[in-house]
Amino acid sequence: MKPKRRFRSETLMLVPLYVFTLVFVLGPLVYMVILSFLQRAETWGVTNEFTVQNYAGILEPVYLNTFVESFKLATLSTLLIILLGYPFGYFMAKLSQKWKGRMMMLLMIPFWTSSLIRLYGWIIIFRANGILDKILMGLGITDAPLKLLYTYPAVVVGMIYALLPFMIFSVYSSAEKMDWSLVEAARDLGASRIRAFLTVTLKMTLPGLLSGVILTFVPSMGLFFIADILGGNKVVLVGSLIQDQLMKAHNWPFAAALSVILTLLTSLLIVLYRRLAGVKDLEGLV
Amino acid sequence: MKKIIALLLVLALALSLAACSGSAGSSSTNPATVTGNTGPAEDSAEAEGTNPADSEEDEGGVNPATVTGNTGPEGNTETELVLYTWEAMFPQEVLDAFEADTGIKVNYVNFDYDETMLARLEEEEGGAYDVVIADDYIIETAVKEGLVAELDKEKLPSFGNIDPFYQGWFYDPDDLYTVPYGAGVQTIVYDPALTDVEIDGYEDLWDESLRDSIGITANYRVIDGMALKVLGESMNTSDVAKIEEAGEKLNALAPNIRLIKDDRLEEDLLSGEISAGIMYTSQVTSAMMQNPDLKVVYPKEGIGFGIMGMFIPSAAPHANAAYKFLEYILQPEVAAQCFEYIGYYSTNKAANEFISDEYKGFLTLPEDIDLENAEILENISNDALDAHNLVWETFRAATGAGE
Repeated sequence: MKPKRRFRSETLMLVPLYVFTLVFVLGPLVYMVILSFLQRAETWGVTNEFTVQNYAGILEPVYLNTFVESFKLATLSTLLIILLGYPFGYFMAKLSQKWKGRMMMLLMIPFWTSSLIRLYGWIIIFRANGILDKILMGLGITDAPLKLLYTYPAVVVGMIYALLPFMIFSVYSSAEKMDWSLVEAARDLGASRIRAFLTVTLKMTLPGLLSGVILTFVPSMGLFFIADILGGNKVVLVGSLIQDQLMKAHNWPFAAALSVILTLLTSLLIVLYRRLAGVKDLEGLV
Repeated sequence: MKKIIALLLVLALALSLAACSGSAGSSSTNPATVTGNTGPAEDSAEAEGTNPADSEEDEGGVNPATVTGNTGPEGNTETELVLYTWEAMFPQEVLDAFEADTGIKVNYVNFDYDETMLARLEEEEGGAYDVVIADDYIIETAVKEGLVAELDKEKLPSFGNIDPFYQGWFYDPDDLYTVPYGAGVQTIVYDPALTDVEIDGYEDLWDESLRDSIGITANYRVIDGMALKVLGESMNTSDVAKIEEAGEKLNALAPNIRLIKDDRLEEDLLSGEISAGIMYTSQVTSAMMQNPDLKVVYPKEGIGFGIMGMFIPSAAPHANAAYKFLEYILQPEVAAQCFEYIGYYSTNKAANEFISDEYKGFLTLPEDIDLENAEILENISNDALDAHNLVWETFRAATGAGE
């Protein structure tokens, strides 16, 4: 009797979660897939005719190129984020308990503000005669305002800024639980610092690094509003193409088809990650 | 510790996602505002996420069930009027004065997009609202759907005040249904202090001296239309080959484009980030008010423009009050006050003399303007729209390619 009742109450507790997932995750996903096979109506909305035209339309070089551009920006941002975030997370794990907490706090505080507002902060820094211009001119390095805003580097800075904490936290969580005596053992057995790092530390923090890569790369495929705001809409990413198709061109089925492809691509990345890292879940998330 | 980190990460992700969707909302343009009428009204409506349903509740239950309890359309004792339009389309003084004059209380109900308005009006079968103000192209659809009442001109003695230039356009060719309420006119605005060329038409924007210094709206029909105008074509052409040709022309403009943006583009002109711009009329007005040294150019290729129109829905519960309101707004002094407030071109000829000098240069068309090639952006076929989209995204990619 007893185990059975236990089973039932557990199942009952899971029901809201399942309902939530079905209604808010699976539901929209199915809707999106169905929508992507429908035809746009002549005035507003869609008709019920089945078509694969929306997918064929993606093969247009300009539209294909938005995937390439998104991939390029995501790769570049992720690489730079690794360069900055890995050492940060690594050294953060070596701090005293008190300072770990403080660092964590400092990293979290910006998240209490809307990311949009933080981006406008970058505009104030980058814009003509803005803070950066004033500093550079004050130091005599430049003598006229640079055109910093609405450029590709400005977009990359925005991406790094938005996603860096995800890398830091992932690496940190990996490095924090590492057994440092293994590094000492390697050193005792004659490994140089670099060799010890490469063979022991890097290997043991690799899951954290890889989950950091997933946590930065996947969102950066979709963070088009940074490119819109700091890049002046000149970098055409998949996300902004989808937005244009939805909000301006009224072509919902095409937008849905683009979204399906984007979802498939990012899912593929996660599958790859699981193969590569040999773990089932994202480190630090479960 | 690990759990805390996990929680923090999830929280951060959720927050950044929320921010994403927020930005998607605020940076989006009205899907079909091809007429360039995205005014301050709409911007603020978007920002606050206003929708008609919310407003209705705020206004104390303005819904068909409660407003029909008045005297019939023939009675003259109506004390209420339901006005349905974007936010901030009238100065409060005008509404207050109307209430004081007539004893009719104005219930101001907002919508965010033209499409929302049309959907609501269809739901109500032309009832619930007494005066609607919306963009030209959506009025065309509303008329076709039978949601618009034919105007009884005898109740509008001041109908003749309307500027004839803004009458007889595609959405109401015989002036049966609408009273224009402001127009968006596509101009070029530039800072002569920052440019080496004299700009008097779209063609001049291709000049090499303007490299990386032009800001444009993200409205693809307006920008593609500009290239079509330069080629001497109609902005509303359905000829895909001509649209593609315009695309080629547009790609040559790409190196000169510094910025593509819908919201507050005027700020970039004022701060010197860009030296010339093609922006919405309300933004031009705002820029001119802050820096009168800027120059507004009516492109020699012909202007593109859009009209906002007032109409009475076919089953308006307080039609008499609606006529009184239209007549009131048609009064020259009142109209002038309204146009200065919304920052759109005066569609009331009698009102022009009441528009103060500081606004005159950009709220009224110059006397000597050549209106022969003036055009309103109209609804076009899906094939033509697809071509426009491809042209637009190709152009946008080209603007980023130079870096």
